Amino acid sequence: MSILIKNVSKKFGSFKALDDVSLEVPDGDLLALLGPSGSGKTTLLRVIAGLEVADSGTVLYQDEDITHHSARDRKVGFVFQHYALFRHMTVAENIGYGLKVRKTPKAQIKKRVDELLKLIRLEGFGVRYPGQLSGGQRQRVALARALAAQPRVLLLDEPFGALDAKVRAELRQWLRRLHEDIHVTSIFVTHDQEEAFEVADRVVVMNEGKIEQVGTPDDVYEHPATPFVYKFLGNVNLFHGRIDNGKAYIHQSETEHVVFVRPHLLDIERVADGGDHFRARIKHINSAGPLVKVEAITEWGALVRVEMPQERFRTLRLLKDETVFVIPRDVRVFEKGRIA
Amino acid sequence: MSTEALVRPHAVAVTIRRHAQEDPAWVRWSLTLFALAVVGLLVVVPVVNVFAEALSEGLRVYWNNLFADPDTRQSIFLTLTVVPIALAANIVFGLAAAWAIARFNFPGRTLLTALIDLPFSVSPVVAGLMFVLIFGLQGYFGPFLRRDGYSVMPYLISIVGVGLFILLFLLLRPSNCQTRKGFWKYPWLSVLTGSGAVFSLLLFVQLYFHVWPRNQSLKIIFATPGLVLATAFVTFPFVARELIPVMEAVGADEELAAVSLGASGWRMFWDVTIPNIKWGLVYGIILCNARAIGEFGAVYVVSGHIAGKTDTMPLRIEKLFQEYNLPGSFAVASLLTLVAIFTLIAKAKLERKFPTTANLPEPKTIETQL
Repeated sequence: MSILIKNVSKKFGSFKALDDVSLEVPDGDLLALLGPSGSGKTTLLRVIAGLEVADSGTVLYQDEDITHHSARDRKVGFVFQHYALFRHMTVAENIGYGLKVRKTPKAQIKKRVDELLKLIRLEGFGVRYPGQLSGGQRQRVALARALAAQPRVLLLDEPFGALDAKVRAELRQWLRRLHEDIHVTSIFVTHDQEEAFEVADRVVVMNEGKIEQVGTPDDVYEHPATPFVYKFLGNVNLFHGRIDNGKAYIHQSETEHVVFVRPHLLDIERVADGGDHFRARIKHINSAGPLVKVEAITEWGALVRVEMPQERFRTLRLLKDETVFVIPRDVRVFEKGRIA
Repeated sequence: MSTEALVRPHAVAVTIRRHAQEDPAWVRWSLTLFALAVVGLLVVVPVVNVFAEALSEGLRVYWNNLFADPDTRQSIFLTLTVVPIALAANIVFGLAAAWAIARFNFPGRTLLTALIDLPFSVSPVVAGLMFVLIFGLQGYFGPFLRRDGYSVMPYLISIVGVGLFILLFLLLRPSNCQTRKGFWKYPWLSVLTGSGAVFSLLLFVQLYFHVWPRNQSLKIIFATPGLVLATAFVTFPFVARELIPVMEAVGADEELAAVSLGASGWRMFWDVTIPNIKWGLVYGIILCNARAIGEFGAVYVVSGHIAGKTDTMPLRIEKLFQEYNLPGSFAVASLLTLVAIFTLIAKAKLERKFPTTANLPEPKTIETQL
């Protein structure tokens, strides 16, 4: 079921949670809404689910305008960050609830519940209560409950947010595989870019109630459309400068343009090779982990972060307080006015 | 390196300090004894004395004191009438108010929260007086109620009928927009015309068949309606006060989950909301009940003290006491004390079930399945 969102706006008091948002989600897509807290991603998800009513704009499933349908008529599966399992019902009753309220025969409910318990690998847990399960198990039950009545759309609100790192990594891959099996159009909200990139087919980056960029994970990471996306996805060095003849001149006093460089796209050399470079003095070296992180002070007194592989670090044998040449491999230049 | 990290130089110091923080034995003992003495003198002795006095002339007299005197019998009956009505009104109101305050953000929310507490801070005597000033002979509605009081009844009944009609309409309405046909499609028009029809029909029936007496005084003050009003007002905050924190702690997620799974508002309420708040609700009802049964001040003012008519149990106790009928007065008092003791036991049992966020049913038959 494809979803089309047209010019949706939503205010909470004077706070603009969604500001004229339009988005198309093709059938069978697994889409991530990525953004910092307060960016409107959860509000957008709730508007799609019908748990929140938009002030203006329309929401369509396929060709059907469902803007004014209540949440119970939209046939969506919604997964909450804190599971929201019915605490006084067993796991089996939880999973079967959506079928029970839609008046499905008992035998059929039992069959479907068993099927789903198998899918979430919790066979035999049907008689337990949510309080007797671990966080990861609870979230799997919440997912099974959402899937039980064969929803047209699956919506997940920070589904792994309350879990510890290891369980989170497992569940991500499991969700990815699950989506490949059942192919229901799915949207999930996250503030973790790694999670978005690992799980989703497409990523929607949101900020301050607006969509900044829509694209595949590669697209968004390699070709950020706006300064916000560039800054939000990974570490970044920021320089002021100006554009002259297609070249960016970095200097602190120039303020027309802002130059973004990712730390791993900066190189350190002992000798200047005649290309673009600037001088910097090494202040701190952190060599734990696969990447060595070097902090240096530029000639004009700004802090610059450089990341390099261990091998490169070992051949260079950098020392603290040494002055080196920093060579940018790839930069992005944005006009000053575009940065809020 | 790892062994160094395990050694904690402060660990020893901590155990020593725990001993140092304990108070000397004589302080602990004298504090405990003092507390026990105060509780014994002020609580245990009087309570035991109530039963001792009541039973001082034997079980047979005790029984006669309770049930042989028609006025005492009537007072027990009156309390058993007034309290359930006041309780029912407060349960409905408490649920509605707690729901509104815990789930919605509306202008006047803080004011409503403060107003719910008002009966706690107003003296019951003042509360009773308020009702006398409104419905009493010299009150605002007094002359009218005295002249032709029952003439408001048809309108009241019709308004209640309209309320029920709107509730039924909302409950029976098909949830899916597409399947709504006929009058279901125009909710505003249907509700307005329907309400009008229900109102005029009920009004017509009552007026045409002379259901209510004409030109007769409707007594509120010095009668049961006044007792119900006063009792309900004084016990007004209990249910709402207990429910608001519970509903806030449980949160709205489970309710939203039920709705997104296709439950109607009614289903959601009975399947999710009520089970989640049931212990808080029961707790509120028990406290409300205890207070309603024992209410004296407000009821004293509105009852007018007509023996065998408007005396509730606490009023009867006072009257028997004034008439030097000590065994009789203590016999009725022992009933109220029993209610209080049961309330305490129930309260202690229920408090263990709090907070509801951690409250889960016991595992039932896991062994058989695993």
